[in-house]
Amino acid sequence: MDPKEYKEFEKPEYFVNRELSWLKFDARVLSEARDKSLPLFERLKFLSITSSNLDEFYMVRVASLKDQVHAGYAKEDIAGMTAKEQLKKISIETHELVQTQYSTLNRSLLPALEKAGMHFIMEHESMTEEQAAFVDRYFEDEVYPVLTPMAMDSSRPFPLIRNKSLNIGALISKKDKKKGKEKDKEKDKVVFATVQVPSVLPRVIVVPSAKEGETTVILLEEIIRRNIGKLFLSYEVVCADAYRIMRNADLTIDEDEAEDLLVEIQKQLKKRQWGEVIRLEAAEKMDPRLLSILKEEFAIKDEDIFFIPGPLDLTLLMKVYGQEGYDQYKEPKYTPAPVPAFQNDKNIFEVIREGDVFLHHPYMSFDPVVNFIRQSAKDPDVLAIKQTLYRVSGNSPIIAALAQAAENGKQVSVLVELKARFDEENNIVWAKMLEKAGCHVIYGLVGLKTHSKITLVVRREDTGIRRYVHLATGNYNDSTAKLYTDCGIFTCDERIGEDATAVFNMLSGYSEPKHWNKLIVAPIWMKNRFLMLIDREAENAKKGIPSSITAKMNSLCDPLIIAALYHASSCGVKINLLVRGICCLKVGIPGVSENIHVRSIVGNFLEHGRIFHFENGGGDEFYMGSADWMPRNLDRRVEIVFPVEDDRIREELRHILDLEFKDNVKAHILQPDGTYEKQDKRGKVLINSQMEFCREATEKAMKHEQKIENSRVFIPAEPVE
Amino acid sequence: MAMMTFAAIDIGAYEVSMKIFELSRKVGFKELNDVRYRLEVGNDSYTRGKLSPEMVDYLCEILTDFKRMMLEFGVTEYRACATSAFRELKNPLIVLEQIYRRTEIRVEILSNAEQHFIGYKSIAAIENGFKKMIQKGTAILDVGGGSLQVSLFDKDALVTTQNLKMGSLRIRERLKELEKTTIHYDQLVEEFIRNDLVSFQRLYLKDRDVKNVILMGDFLTDTIFQEDMEDRILTKAEFLNRYENTAYKPVQQLSDEMGIDPEYASLVVPTMVIIKNFIDIFNAESLWAPGVSLLDGIAYDFAERKKYLKSAHNFENDILVASRNIAKRYSSGKNHIQGTTEVALAIFDSTKKVHGMGQRERLLLQIAVQLHDCGKYINMGDVSECSYQIIMETEIIGLSTEERYIIANAVRYNKEEFKYRSGFEYDDAMDNEKYLLIAKLAAILRLANAMDRSHYQKVEGIKTELKDRKLSMILDSNRDLSLELGLLKDKVDFFEEVFGIRLALRRKKKA
Repeated sequence: MDPKEYKEFEKPEYFVNRELSWLKFDARVLSEARDKSLPLFERLKFLSITSSNLDEFYMVRVASLKDQVHAGYAKEDIAGMTAKEQLKKISIETHELVQTQYSTLNRSLLPALEKAGMHFIMEHESMTEEQAAFVDRYFEDEVYPVLTPMAMDSSRPFPLIRNKSLNIGALISKKDKKKGKEKDKEKDKVVFATVQVPSVLPRVIVVPSAKEGETTVILLEEIIRRNIGKLFLSYEVVCADAYRIMRNADLTIDEDEAEDLLVEIQKQLKKRQWGEVIRLEAAEKMDPRLLSILKEEFAIKDEDIFFIPGPLDLTLLMKVYGQEGYDQYKEPKYTPAPVPAFQNDKNIFEVIREGDVFLHHPYMSFDPVVNFIRQSAKDPDVLAIKQTLYRVSGNSPIIAALAQAAENGKQVSVLVELKARFDEENNIVWAKMLEKAGCHVIYGLVGLKTHSKITLVVRREDTGIRRYVHLATGNYNDSTAKLYTDCGIFTCDERIGEDATAVFNMLSGYSEPKHWNKLIVAPIWMKNRFLMLIDREAENAKKGIPSSITAKMNSLCDPLIIAALYHASSCGVKINLLVRGICCLKVGIPGVSENIHVRSIVGNFLEHGRIFHFENGGGDEFYMGSADWMPRNLDRRVEIVFPVEDDRIREELRHILDLEFKDNVKAHILQPDGTYEKQDKRGKVLINSQMEFCREATEKAMKHEQKIENSRVFIPAEPVE
Repeated sequence: MAMMTFAAIDIGAYEVSMKIFELSRKVGFKELNDVRYRLEVGNDSYTRGKLSPEMVDYLCEILTDFKRMMLEFGVTEYRACATSAFRELKNPLIVLEQIYRRTEIRVEILSNAEQHFIGYKSIAAIENGFKKMIQKGTAILDVGGGSLQVSLFDKDALVTTQNLKMGSLRIRERLKELEKTTIHYDQLVEEFIRNDLVSFQRLYLKDRDVKNVILMGDFLTDTIFQEDMEDRILTKAEFLNRYENTAYKPVQQLSDEMGIDPEYASLVVPTMVIIKNFIDIFNAESLWAPGVSLLDGIAYDFAERKKYLKSAHNFENDILVASRNIAKRYSSGKNHIQGTTEVALAIFDSTKKVHGMGQRERLLLQIAVQLHDCGKYINMGDVSECSYQIIMETEIIGLSTEERYIIANAVRYNKEEFKYRSGFEYDDAMDNEKYLLIAKLAAILRLANAMDRSHYQKVEGIKTELKDRKLSMILDSNRDLSLELGLLKDKVDFFEEVFGIRLALRRKKKA
C-alpha cells in the first residue's frame, strides 16, 4: 500500500504525545516503588530510577522543547500539540509525578526503613549529642576542606551554578559589631551565598546509632547545613536550604527531532540560550527571600520550579541500596546461567558451525560474547574482527580482548559511536586506547548514530574463508547485560556473513551493497520493509488468511508505522505489542485500533530486546534487532534487524513472546483512555515472566550439566605387559 | 595451495572499487567483498590533466582502507588497475609513485585495449550465454565514465574493437553549461555524440548484422537495469520503454527512485542515450547486461593465469583474429603470413630451452609475423618504419601498450639494422628486458621471413632438431630454394648472435 493511503489513520487524535507517554512510563516505574509486595530495598531502587530518568528527560527532551519554543518552531507533533502546549502539560504531569515520588518516600518507604532498622536523620536538630559530635567532627575533617562557599554582593556577581549539582543557598547578614541605627541597617542587609555539596564525598553518611543493631544515616547536605555558620564567620546565617538546577547545556541537538527542526535550530543557533536553567528544585521550606533571589537569577518561571518535601535528587537511594546487610530486603541476586550450547570443551567456532546459537540475556550468561572476542584474539586462523560499540562498561573485557587481538596481529576494526548520549567522553577515552593498541577505529557516519550491534570474525579454514557473526538487540556491555533483557545469535550463515562485511564497508563510508541477502538495515531500507511486512498482514486479513503481528520493543512512536498498524488492525489483523516505554499508539479506537493490544513490562530487569513476529499466512517470519519503531531508529540511525530462520531459535522467540503476554505480575496493560493498568490477579496463577525466564535458564543449564555427567564413561585400564 | 584470496582494484573515472575473491580449483572463484567509493577522479584529469592534491589524498585514503580490507581476508595477491582517468593524466608516473609510497599499493595503468579485453574476459567467463550469443552478430558495448568501447563479434571471434571518447562522465562535464539551456537534455546528448556515431557506422558497420548488444560497464549500468531484468536480458521494446521512463526525469527523482547517490544519478541519462543510439545504429534486437565489471575480469584473468580455472573461451584466438583483421586491412599477403608463421613457430618451439620465452611471447611472435609487412600499404620503400608506426597507432585488443611496443620494434628490426644497446643508455620506453625480448623476436622473425623471401611458400614442411648448440632444420621442398638460402646468411648470423646456436639448413626433396 502506498504510504499516502495511511492518511486517514494519521489524525492527531489517534496519537499520544511522546513526552506524555514517556512520563507514563516513569509513572509505571514509580508504581514498582509503591508495590508493597516487593522487597523494600528494591522499591528504593525503583524510586531512584524514576529520579534519574526524570533528570535525563529534562536534560534531553524538555531542553529540546525549550529550543523549539525559542526557535519559534510552531509545528505540531503527531498528537497535534505545539512545543508550548507540550511544556505546559509536561510541567503539570511532572509536578504530580514528583509529588507521588515524595509521598511514596515519606509515607511509605522511610517508615518501612525505620521498621527495618534504618533510621534517616532528616533534620540535624533531632540528633543525639553523640551523633552531633560525630557529624561536626566529620564536617571539619572531611567536608570543610573541599567546600567553596561563594557570596554575591555588589562587587561579586551571581556565581555560576553547575548543572545537576546539589547546592545549599543561604542568606547571611553581618554580625552586629556596630551600634545603633547603623547596626540595624547593616543587619537588615542580607547577602546571598551558596555552596556546592561536593560530589566527591558520599552523599549518605552512617553515623553512630542510638540503638544497638540499627543503622542511622544522615545526608551530606544536612551536615553542611548544620555547620554552614562555619563558612561565613563574620556573618549570621539567616536561612540555608538546598536547591538544584538543570540547565539546557547539552551541546548536541537531540537526534529525535525532525530534520526540518534541526535545520531550523541550527539556523537560529545564536538565539539558543546556552545554559538556560530549565528546572529548579528547591527545598519545600525554603525561605521566600532566598527563593526569590534564585528565581530572579535563574530567570525561571513558576511552572519550572519544584518544591521538594524531602531530600533532593533521589538517586541517593541507590547508595542506600548499596549499604551492607539488609539482604532480606533485597531480591536474591540472580546469576546468569551458562549457555547449554557452550557447556563443553569445544572451540566456539566449532559450536557455531554446528548450528546457530541463541542467547537470551541476562537469563543466560553474556560470557560467550566476551569469549567470542577473546578466542578470536587468540585463534591463529582468525584474520579479522570487526565490531560496533555503542556503550561499553567501565572496565570492559571486550575492549581488552579487542586490544589484545590487535596486538596479536589480527585486523581489528571497531566502530565507536561518539554520539552515544551521555557516553561521549567515556567513548573518546577508550577509542584512543584501542587506536593505541593498533585497532582501526572508525567513528561512524556524519548525521547517523550507529546503533546496530554486530560483530564479524573472519577466519581462514580448510574449506576457505568463513565468516562468524554475532548479532544482537543489546549493546556490547557486560555490565548492562546483567540487567537488560536482550537477545542475540551467533551464526556462520554465509549470506549473513556477506551482509556483515557490507555493513562494515558502509560504516567506513563506502557505498552500500547492490542488495542485502538477509539483513534489514536502517536508515534507508528498514522502514519500508516494516511497512511492507505490516501491510502484507493487512492484505492477508482482507483475504481471510490467518494474520497477526506480535512485536516487542522499547518505544513505538513512528507515525507511519503506527498508521500502518491502525490500517492493519482495521483490516482485522490481531496485533499484540510489548512496548516497555513510549507508546504513541492508542488502543481501542473504534474502527482504528480495536484489534491492538499493548502491554508494558516493568520488572527487575530492564526490558530491552526487540523481537518481531509476522504470521504471514502460516509462513511465520521472526525478526530481531536493534531498532525500535521510532523515527530516530528508522530514519536517523544505522540499525540492523535480522531474520531468524533456525527453527529451534524461532521456537525460543515464540516462547518468549508467549510468556511475556501471559505475565500478570509485571505487565501493565494500556487502556483506551491512555492509562496503564495492571491485571486483576485474583484467582489466577501468578506469572512473572522475568522470574520464569530465570528459572528456565537455570534449569536448562543444570539439565545439560547432568546430561554430561550421566554420559560419562569410565574406560577400563589396559593391563600392563 | 588449494585456496587463496585475491583482490582486484579499479580506479575508474567516477569510482574507486575493489572486490576480494577466494580462488580455488574446486569452486573457481567466489566473491567475498565488494566495496565501492564514489570519487570523480576523471573530473580532475579530463579537465586539467592533473589530479588536485586533495584528490590524491582521497585516493590514498581509500587505497589504505582497501589495503586493510585485503588483510582482513588474508589477501596474498592483488592487481590494482587505473583506467582512462589515469591515461589522460600528464603526470601519471608521479601520481602512481606517490600512491605506492603512501599506500604500498602498486597501481598499473591499463591501456584501453587491455582494459576492455579484461572486461570482455569477465563476460566470456559466464560461459553459456556468451558462447551462444556470439555465434550471431554481437556487439559488446562498454560504457565507462571517460570513454566507451564497442567490440564486434562474428562467428565466435572478435572482428573489431573501437574506442570512442564518449563516456558518461565526460559527456556530463562537457554539457554542464549547456544543460541549463534546454529541457531536452537527452536530445542534447544525442546531438553531441551523433557525429562520432555516424563515422563509426560508416567505417565498421558496413554489411554487418548486429543482433545482440552485450552491455558491460560498472555499477551504474548494472543499477539502471537491475529491476527490469530477471534474466538480465531486455528486448529492444523493453529497453525503449525503460528509456522513455528515464530520459526525462530530473536527477533528484532518478536518485530517489533508483536509490542511488545523486552524483551517480546524473550519469544515468548520458548512459541511457549512448545505449539507445547504439541500439539504433545496430538495429539490434536484444540487450544483455550480464552484470560484470572490470573487477570480475581482473580476477578471471588472474585465476586463468594461475590455473585456478580453465578458460571458457579461446582469448588468444581473439587477439590473433583481431591482428589478422588489421593485417587484412593493410592488404598483407595471407599466404606469406601463413608460411612465415609456420616457420617462426617451428623455430620458437624447438628452441624453447635456449630462448626461455613462454606462451605469451609466442603469441607476440605470431602477431609480429602477422603485422610484419603491413607498412607496405603506405610506402613500399620504407616498410619497416611504416609498419612500426601502424602498429604503434593501432589498438590491438588484449595487448598492453608495452607489448605493442615490443611487437612494433621486432617488426622494425626485421628489416632495419638492429640498434644495439649497452644497457646504460637512457631511453623512455626501452628497458633492458624489453630490449632483449625484441632482439629475440626479431631474430626469429628475420629468419622465418627470409625463408619465404619470394612469398611463394616454397617450404612445405619443416623439421627442426636441436642438438648441442646446433639447430638442424630440414626443409621439405621440391622447389628451388637458392634465393632464400642465399640471402639467409646475415639472418643466421644474427640468430646465432642472439641465441648462441648455429643453424644448419638442409633441403629434403619430397618423394
